Amino acid sequence: MTTLWDTTGSAVVKELAAQRRTGGAVLSGVALTLVVVADESRVADAEEAATHAAEAHPCRVLVVVRRQIDAPTPRLDAEVLIGGRLGPGEAVVMRMYGRLGLHAESVVLPLLAADAPVVAWWHAAPPDRLATDALAVFADRRITDSSIAEDSLAALRTRAEDYAPGDTDLAWTRCTTWRSTLASSLDSVSGRRGEPVRVHGGRIEGDPKNASAQLLAGWLSSRGGCSITVAEGARTPGPSGVQSVVLQLDQDEEVRVEADRRGGAVISQPFRPDASVALPERPLGDLLSEELRRLDDDEPYSDALEAATRVTGLADHSPVREHVWFDPAEADGDDPPVPGPRRRAAAVKAASS
Amino acid sequence: MITNPLRDPRDRRLPRVPEPCALVVFGITGDLARKKLLPAVYDLANRGLLPTNFALLGFARRDWGDSEFAEISREAAREHARTPWREEVWEQLAADITFVQGSFDDDNAFDQLAATLGQLEGSHGIGGNAAFYLSIPPAMFPTVLKQMQRTGMAESTPERWRRVVVEKPFGEDLPSSRELNELVDSVFSADDVFRIDHYLGKETVQNLLALRFANTLFEPIWNGHHVDSVQITMAEDVGIGGRAGFYEKTGAARDVLQNHLLQLLALTAMEEPVEFSAEEIRTEKLKVLRAISLPEDLRTFAVRGQYEQGWLAGQRVKGYRQEEGVAEDSTTETFAAVRLGVETRRWAGVPFYLRTGKRLPRRVTEIALVFKRAPHLPFADTDTEELGNNQLVVRVQPDEGVTLKFGSKVPGSVMEVRDVSMDFLYGEQFTESSPEAYERLLLDVLLGDATLFPRNAEVEASWAVIDPLEEFWSGTSPHPYRAGEWGPRAAEEMLFSEDRRWRRP
Repeated sequence: MTTLWDTTGSAVVKELAAQRRTGGAVLSGVALTLVVVADESRVADAEEAATHAAEAHPCRVLVVVRRQIDAPTPRLDAEVLIGGRLGPGEAVVMRMYGRLGLHAESVVLPLLAADAPVVAWWHAAPPDRLATDALAVFADRRITDSSIAEDSLAALRTRAEDYAPGDTDLAWTRCTTWRSTLASSLDSVSGRRGEPVRVHGGRIEGDPKNASAQLLAGWLSSRGGCSITVAEGARTPGPSGVQSVVLQLDQDEEVRVEADRRGGAVISQPFRPDASVALPERPLGDLLSEELRRLDDDEPYSDALEAATRVTGLADHSPVREHVWFDPAEADGDDPPVPGPRRRAAAVKAASS
Repeated sequence: MITNPLRDPRDRRLPRVPEPCALVVFGITGDLARKKLLPAVYDLANRGLLPTNFALLGFARRDWGDSEFAEISREAAREHARTPWREEVWEQLAADITFVQGSFDDDNAFDQLAATLGQLEGSHGIGGNAAFYLSIPPAMFPTVLKQMQRTGMAESTPERWRRVVVEKPFGEDLPSSRELNELVDSVFSADDVFRIDHYLGKETVQNLLALRFANTLFEPIWNGHHVDSVQITMAEDVGIGGRAGFYEKTGAARDVLQNHLLQLLALTAMEEPVEFSAEEIRTEKLKVLRAISLPEDLRTFAVRGQYEQGWLAGQRVKGYRQEEGVAEDSTTETFAAVRLGVETRRWAGVPFYLRTGKRLPRRVTEIALVFKRAPHLPFADTDTEELGNNQLVVRVQPDEGVTLKFGSKVPGSVMEVRDVSMDFLYGEQFTESSPEAYERLLLDVLLGDATLFPRNAEVEASWAVIDPLEEFWSGTSPHPYRAGEWGPRAAEEMLFSEDRRWRRP
């Protein structure tokens, strides 16, 4: 590990290359570059999760921490690690001070693994419009986490309005275990009947302010073609925000899945005894790992987001984002933001799509 | 037709979960069941991959009560599980585990088993689906299968499926494997028989097929025009452990060569399947297995060996004949190397060297394609003295990955070309150290996905390759080699005689 204080982007590139040469034996193939944008207070969490994910997906991890955007002199501190704290691959942790934070891409671009997909993950409140962060513009996949926001429902709506194919949210990833359990419960109903099942309605009990619970409701509504909402539950649910799900099916049948708060759930369905299944709340690293498994558009997510927020037409959003200049220093004043130079940072992406 | 509105083909986050079913394990008290099966079932449960209604039914001779059995299986699962231990997951699973005691020739015990299975249909909602896992010595198969036939447990109907899982080795030669296949197929229909070769993980097969058929780079040179020879190695550093009884009767050729190495050969040499489905892949593999030819000069090209006392990994180890339970004059081989041919347009004239052995320096399984040398080198002879053949090596385990070996100039003012290797490592998750391979096999059985499982025609074609070798070897003694060496001298000479040498994996 090498730490470079008050350094430049080129020095970081050089150091990474030097460490690759000397530590060559620890390298494995790099399948993608993971750019992590984190708050100082969340860096440790983000690093842990990225390390976990890097074990399953060989990648280069670039952590960007923006600090003191109003500091008078821009400064870059960087840690270069190969096969160290941040997993088996290559990692660079960069702290950017002052106005450099607005130009993070100038440091990150030369550090991307050649011709490999780029995934950007905000383990922080993401900008309202992702296009105002150049790091989002060249990323092929963008992962946000609406559950971080204080008002996670407003955060979901923001994500829906700003949606572009290739966006995804960890609040959605948190639903996967619930979705999987629900889908296999209906499998077993249709298996017993030997004919299709229809969902006529349903109810989720849990935390209506939880983004995951809302996305689960959105998904069920979009798949079932009926409106399913989240009602305040009697107990405080886990991070997925869901305590129980009841689905009303055709033929007057009902399926109920209830979390037992011990990492499991009980499934009740007609003509079958109650069954217990594992339904754990997963650590951040597992969620991130799931996100890195596939890098193409996630249509079920956009359908669920659409249904959860009632913002329509997500599928028609352009997959290409163009960088929009945004300066928080100017936005704080009374003057409207002055449009700055618009740069086509997405040149490569635009040409390829 | 979509029968479940929550299933969406675009939604690839949701794992495939089997229908409600029961897993019935014969010989649940055995080593394999405790070290592999129970932990794999726990891992599946922990990952949420078991169906919502599931039951595990253990059958064995030992006289255990339900609570005693629960305790023992808990210990086994806990000790060998791959995923973190969570008591609550186990408790949920334990409620689904039942033990039935009885011997295999006891009609009453099987009637009770059938009755218990019937009860579980109601109490656990398994819907009559069941997979039977025969974790018992092959000699017991006829008894157990006949009992299953008698009690009607083996019948698949449109409402329910019944499957059977058989472990390798499938028989000990062609006639016995035919007999076994006929027996199994008379009780279960051919589609419901799953033959498990737990050495061959699904990940490996998929990786190899992806490397070959998803790329344009390799396929044009994947043939006798460019490939000089192929070496497939499966080396183990361990001895026979406590399995002397089994091994004395089996030997390296039947234990590994017949199934694992020939399957790897088939995957390496097969043509592109019409589609990525179980049936099409099996069809292509079968064509290769049937096209295998044996060398005429078996004395040189079919070598077997037996390890003697030696040093391995810093420890003194016993010779095979000194192992407990092995006859002092045993002629069972612990090493086998053979040169095979594949008589197709693609591979005619390319030797496939296969070797496997115990107590070799390290544990490794790999497939190496050794390419022909360039027909002309525009360099001075001295410049390329150290340049070998280009190689493409598919490492199966450990460190699953791909290595490409090619010549590169040595830095400096002198022109000098030397071999270097370029390495790709699959992510840690996919490496063999995780018994995920076993979980996936089990999951595939419950899902009814037969991609990985050889069908009886493949097994029989493989025995047709091994039988002449066994016949030639019978009555001879294997070449001795020291534990910790890469096999007997005769194996080296086998390649020297054709101006080649074994790659050191």
